[in-house]
Amino acid sequence: MEMSSKKNNDYEVVLKEVGGIKSGPVPLRVAMEICARCGTCARQCPVYQGKPEARYNPALRTDRIRKIYKRYYTPSGRVLRVFSGSGDLNQREIEEWAETFYECTGCRRCAVYCPMGIDHSVITRKGRAIVHKLGKTPKRLLDVTEISLKTGNTDGCSKEAFINTIQFLESEMKEETGIDIPIPVDKVGSDVFFVPPSGDVLVKPEAVMGIAKIFYVLGVDWTMSSFMFDGANYGLFTGDDEAMKAENLNCVNEAKRLGCKTLMMGECGHAHRIMKFMMEKANWWGKLPFETTNCMEFTADIIKEGKIKLDPSKNPQPVTYHDPCNFARSCGIIDEPRTILKASCADYREMTPSGSENWCCGGGGGLSAMDTIREFRMNVSGKKKLEQIKATAAKFVAAPCANCKRQLTQLMEHYEMDVEVGGVHDMVYRAIVLDGTGIA
Amino acid sequence: METLGYLIGVILPPITLVVLVVGLIYRFRIWWKLPIPKMTLFPAPDPGSDTFLGVLKATFFFPGLFKGDKSLWAAAWVFHAMLALILIGHVRVAMDFPRLWAALGINADSMSAWSGGAAGIIILFTVIFLLLRRMSLERVREITQGGDWFALVLVLLIIFSGNAMRFLEHFDLKLTRAYFASLVMFKFSLPPLKGWFLLHFFLGQVLFMYLPFSKLLHFGGIFFTQTALQRR
Repeated sequence: MEMSSKKNNDYEVVLKEVGGIKSGPVPLRVAMEICARCGTCARQCPVYQGKPEARYNPALRTDRIRKIYKRYYTPSGRVLRVFSGSGDLNQREIEEWAETFYECTGCRRCAVYCPMGIDHSVITRKGRAIVHKLGKTPKRLLDVTEISLKTGNTDGCSKEAFINTIQFLESEMKEETGIDIPIPVDKVGSDVFFVPPSGDVLVKPEAVMGIAKIFYVLGVDWTMSSFMFDGANYGLFTGDDEAMKAENLNCVNEAKRLGCKTLMMGECGHAHRIMKFMMEKANWWGKLPFETTNCMEFTADIIKEGKIKLDPSKNPQPVTYHDPCNFARSCGIIDEPRTILKASCADYREMTPSGSENWCCGGGGGLSAMDTIREFRMNVSGKKKLEQIKATAAKFVAAPCANCKRQLTQLMEHYEMDVEVGGVHDMVYRAIVLDGTGIA
Repeated sequence: METLGYLIGVILPPITLVVLVVGLIYRFRIWWKLPIPKMTLFPAPDPGSDTFLGVLKATFFFPGLFKGDKSLWAAAWVFHAMLALILIGHVRVAMDFPRLWAALGINADSMSAWSGGAAGIIILFTVIFLLLRRMSLERVREITQGGDWFALVLVLLIIFSGNAMRFLEHFDLKLTRAYFASLVMFKFSLPPLKGWFLLHFFLGQVLFMYLPFSKLLHFGGIFFTQTALQRR
């Protein structure tokens, strides 16, 4: 009795959500209807190329929603049935969704090549949104979302712990350089409000220290926030729009409270994308008193203008750059990190392919945070990336994304490769020349 | 043969026309009214480039596919280019433009004989390639549905019967043109009673009726996806 009412309820949710595709938007509905079934997406998918099995074929994953859409919402699907690719609702299959839609990293590489302009990540996110409505979102991601909404960061780090960490970073820099390089916190009225991913403070802080050094040299009036020092937003990954917007509003409100002129996003692709290409473009919160930029755009510009001095001999090891999906494919930030790395490293090596064609790290779309699928990330979705990194023989992989960093670090460990993984500004941190004059 | 000719040439054409036109309007109207999300879609477009030109480029040259799968790109591009040529060539079946040909100094009959013949042969090979590809590549075979086999085999048979009409049986252009000239004026008379011709004409109409309800409508859908994608 209870089973069948649960089943009916699940069916109702799925039908309502899939039926909603009828009213758009364009990329979602048209993707349901014009796939030519040419297999190009599978050829370019990091997961399918990691292990060419039907369950990893992007078109078949999308079909899980497509066949219900066709069966219940299109005349041809109702009449022609299996012939047109439609299929009945099936409880056993719905149970599999929570797994299958988290086997796509949402990297959108398929969309670069699809002749029809179909973006499987859009369907993956829809699938995850339905999984979320069914209450089947992987627990780890639910927890992270909840912690982030409560504490302002995905690590659940308290205000006190954050301030302690910042003080520690300042004393580290003092010890290394002999100079007081401040990392201002909660300074109302600053020009720039800097929001990195929390990992760049708590796990690999060289990126934040690199920014601090640059701002010190340029004399930029900046601040971080003890409540909002993490741009990460897991609502994007779970398909939970409500959580995504609530999280985003927290950051926007903090930027308003601090009265900054510029909201500068750190080395976190999806945070930058939500801010710049979703929140701003779709005008979620009306007119904003600040502009949004990314730290890599900022640093690349000042390097080109010759405003900072960098000593590439400080980074003699071969360095390569991994394009995070959200920066390269969704924000078009491709040249900027290369400008920075070439100026701060002696031996920069390009990956093949690179830019918007670069392979996913294997941990995109929030997968990197899930230890339950570590096996999959190492042996399936990360395979292509591993090959690419090996081919460069680099000793340092710069990846401006906390998720990529976690995945790549684990990948290097798993395959016992002697390769360091870090951020782009880590290289600036090590190479920047402080001439002791302080504010220029 | 006369009954068959009557069914295919008199009864079926008005049905085909209604199904095709109503079906196309139905599908395009829906797509047209769909909202385009405000957020920038993928891939992030070049700030300087033009949306309209981008859509045209994607529609006519499939640049993404070129990067993604060279052999499929070649087959798909040649297939669609030949298809376009052949469709244009078919206009001459219903009406001719002798003054245009004279002004251009072209002998239209001999030109269409060799260019139409060549296009028919080339497109046959591209479809055979697509069919073999679908059968042999695991990643393509595992996503292939009944409708995909149907569309390919249907197109293959249409091309084959079209070539057969040209090469295997006598094609009476005068008689055929008289039939289609009256057909486009909605006068339904008996078509030429030739086997390959009737098969070709019948299958062609099946394709037209299937078109609005199938993936074959990607020729229209691509404008909608690309317009959304290439928007700044």
